Amino acid sequence: MRTTIKNYLLTLLVFVLLVTAGVRTGLAQVPDPGTPGPLPVTREEYDFGDTAFQPSSFPGSVELRASIHYPTNLPAGPYPVILFLHGRHATCFKGGSQLLQWPCTNGAETIPSFQGYDYVSEVLASHGYVVVSVSANGVNAVDNSVFDLGALARGELMQKHLDILKTFNTTGGAPFGTRFVGKFDLTRVGTMGHSRGGEGVVRHYVLNNSLGAPYGIKAVFPLAPVDFNRFVVNNAALNVMLPYCDGDVSDLQGVHFYDDARYNVPGDTAPKHYELVMGANHNFYNTIWTPATSSFPGAANDWLAFVPGGHSDSQCGSVGGNQRLTAAQQRGTGLAYMTAFFRAYVGGETQFLPLLTGDAPPPPSAQTNKLFVSYHAPDVAGVRLDVNRLLNDTNLTINTLGAAATQTGLSPYELCGGPAPQPQRCIPDALNAQQPHTTPSARSPLRGLSQLKTGWNDLTGNYKNDLPAGLGNVSGYQAVQFRVSVNFADARNLAGLAQDFRVVLTDASGSSASVRVSDVSGALFFPPGEVRPVPKIVLNTVRVPLSAFSGVNLNAVRSVQFAFNERLQGGVLVTDVAFANSPQ
Amino acid sequence: MKRSVKNRHLAITLLVLPFLLVTGSNGFGQRNPDRELPLRELLNVPGKLVSEAKSSRPTTELKLSGYRVEEIKLPRQLNVELHGQQVAVDKAWRVTVQGGPFAVRAMPAVIWIDDQIVGNGIENETLSQITAITFDSSLIREGGVVSLSYGEDKEGRVRISQRLHLTREGGNQ
Repeated sequence: MRTTIKNYLLTLLVFVLLVTAGVRTGLAQVPDPGTPGPLPVTREEYDFGDTAFQPSSFPGSVELRASIHYPTNLPAGPYPVILFLHGRHATCFKGGSQLLQWPCTNGAETIPSFQGYDYVSEVLASHGYVVVSVSANGVNAVDNSVFDLGALARGELMQKHLDILKTFNTTGGAPFGTRFVGKFDLTRVGTMGHSRGGEGVVRHYVLNNSLGAPYGIKAVFPLAPVDFNRFVVNNAALNVMLPYCDGDVSDLQGVHFYDDARYNVPGDTAPKHYELVMGANHNFYNTIWTPATSSFPGAANDWLAFVPGGHSDSQCGSVGGNQRLTAAQQRGTGLAYMTAFFRAYVGGETQFLPLLTGDAPPPPSAQTNKLFVSYHAPDVAGVRLDVNRLLNDTNLTINTLGAAATQTGLSPYELCGGPAPQPQRCIPDALNAQQPHTTPSARSPLRGLSQLKTGWNDLTGNYKNDLPAGLGNVSGYQAVQFRVSVNFADARNLAGLAQDFRVVLTDASGSSASVRVSDVSGALFFPPGEVRPVPKIVLNTVRVPLSAFSGVNLNAVRSVQFAFNERLQGGVLVTDVAFANSPQ
Repeated sequence: MKRSVKNRHLAITLLVLPFLLVTGSNGFGQRNPDRELPLRELLNVPGKLVSEAKSSRPTTELKLSGYRVEEIKLPRQLNVELHGQQVAVDKAWRVTVQGGPFAVRAMPAVIWIDDQIVGNGIENETLSQITAITFDSSLIREGGVVSLSYGEDKEGRVRISQRLHLTREGGNQ
C-alpha cells in the first residue's frame, strides 16, 4: 500500500511538472506538421504540351505540365489546393551539358525542376491537400529578355493552371476524366514559389486580385525569392523563407515582401512571417537542383559555386567546423514551415501557429534549431498594438501611439534604410548584399526598411517608449515584440559574441519588471561569416511573453524600455516595437 | 549612390522603352511576340564588329574568355530616353561576353563597361555567351573595360582584362 501511494505521488509530481513545463513553454501542445499523415497518396502528372500556353507580351511559349499529389481514391473532399512554382534554372540537358532553350531540341531532354518539391507535396497530400507543382521551363528560357524578368508570365502561368484545375473540378477533362470533379476547393488555395518563382507567386496573387479574385488565395509562401518589382501581398497570409547562405539571391532581397507589406494596407487582417535559416543555401530546397539527389546537369551547391572564395567561410563554406546544413536538413526546414504555414492558413489547422510566431521551437521535421522566426501580427484591434513603427524621424521622439519616445546615453540614435532623407543604407561601408532590408531592387526605385540605428557606450543606455494612459491596458496581448539585429559593423560589438539587453515594462504605479532578451530569444547573435556576402543584417523578431513581467500591472502599462545594461557597449538595429497576439 | 541609381534607371529605360513603344498597351490577350519584342530581335540581326577580344586563359571566376561588341542597324527608328533626353536612334550596340558555361541563376547577369551598366544579359542556348544591348553610344569608348556581374553587384564584377579597342568605323567616333 505504501509503495502504491508513493508511486501515485511520484506520478502526480511528474504530471504536475510536465503540465507546468507545458504551460510555460507551450511546446508540448504543438504537433509536428511535417510528419506524414494518415492518407495514402497518389502522384500523377498532366501535360498539355511544351508550347500550350502563351503568356501575354512574352517572347516564348510555355508548357502546361504539372504534377498532382492527392489523397488516393479521394475519399473525401473537396480538398484545399496548394500550388508550387519552381524558379529559374537550366531547362534542358544533353549528355552532361545544361541548356537554356525551350522546347528542348536536337535530342536534348527536359530538366524537370517542378519535381523537386515532391517531398513536401507527399506530406501535404497525406494530410488531405491537393498539391500541384507547375513546370515553368518555357518562362525560364527567355525571361531575361522582358522588363519584369518574367514575373507576369509566371503569374499568368499559375492562373492558367488554376483555370485547368477549375475545369477538372467542374466538368472534368483529359487526362483524368471526371476523377476530380468536386474534389478541389478553389476557395482555399495556397501558393509557394521558389527563387524567381517566389516573385512569381506574389505577382500571381496581385494578378488574381486584379481579375476579381476568382480563386481564393489564402496564403503565399515565397521561398528564397527574388523581389525585382516590389509587388506586395496584403490580406493573405505571407511567409518568406530566407537562407542565410544563399549564393544566388545572396542579398536576400525577398525580405522586402515582408517589410513592404507590414503597414501598406491599414486593417490588413493577414499575418506575415519569415524564417532566416542559418546554414541553408538557395538550391537545396529543390531536389532536382541538389547534386546529392539529382541526376541532371545544373545541380549545384550555389554558395560554393557562385560566391568567390566561398569555400573558406566559417559559416557557409566547406571548411572544417562550418555551420552548413546538409541538403536533407535544409529540406527539413522547408518541409516543416511550408506544411505548418499551409496547414494553418489554408487548412485552418491552427495548432501550428506557435511555430509560425516563433513561440514554439522548430519541430523535429525541421531537423535543425538554427533558424529564426519573425512575425508581424494582423492589423486588428486586440491582436496588434503598434508602439513604435520607427518609420520616420518623428518616431524618434513621438511614437506610433502618440506618446514620448526618449533615449538616454545612446549614440547614434537615428533612422536609416527608409525613404529619403534617411540614408539608403544603414551600414555605408558594407555591401548591399550584406544589408537585405535595404538592398536596391532591379525594377523598382522603392527604398527599404526604416530602422533605428543605435548603440551604447556604458550600462546607462536606455530606449524608452511611453504608452498613453488610455492605451496602457495590454493584458489582452501575449507578448511585447520587436525586430532586432546586432550591427556587425559597429565596433562596440565583439565579433562572434552575442549581444544582450533587457526589456522593461513599467506600470502606472511605478512597478517595473525586466526580461533579458537572451532568456527568450537567440536573435541577438553576432551575424556569422567572413566571406561576403556574409556577415549580413537580418532583423529577427524577439517576442517576450507578458507573463514573464511578474509584478507589473498589465492593465496599466506606462512604458516599454530597452535597458542596455547587460553588456558594456554595443550597437543594434531595431524596428517594429509592438504588443501582439498570435493570429486568430 | 546617385550615379548608381541613375545608371539603373538608364538601363531600365533602355530596356523598357523600345518594348513599350512597339507593343503599345499591355493586356492578357495573345500576341505575336516576334513582332513586339525588338530586344530579342536585336539578339539575332546581323551586326558590324566594333571590338573583340579573346583570351586563351579565361578568368578564374565565371570563366570569361572574351567579348564582342557589334553595332547593329535598327529595323526601324526608335525614340528612347538617353541621359534624360528623348532622342531618336537608328543604331544599337550589342555587347556579348563569352566563356562559361554560365549558370542559369535567379539573379540576372549584368554587363558593364567601366562603371556603367550596359544592360541585363541574356544567355544563349548553350550558355556560352551572355548579351546585352544598349542604345547609348557613349558607353562604347576606346579603352573601356567590359565586366560581368550577377545583379547590380558593382563590387563583385568580373573584368575582362583586354580593354575595348574600337575599329575605325565603330563606336563613339
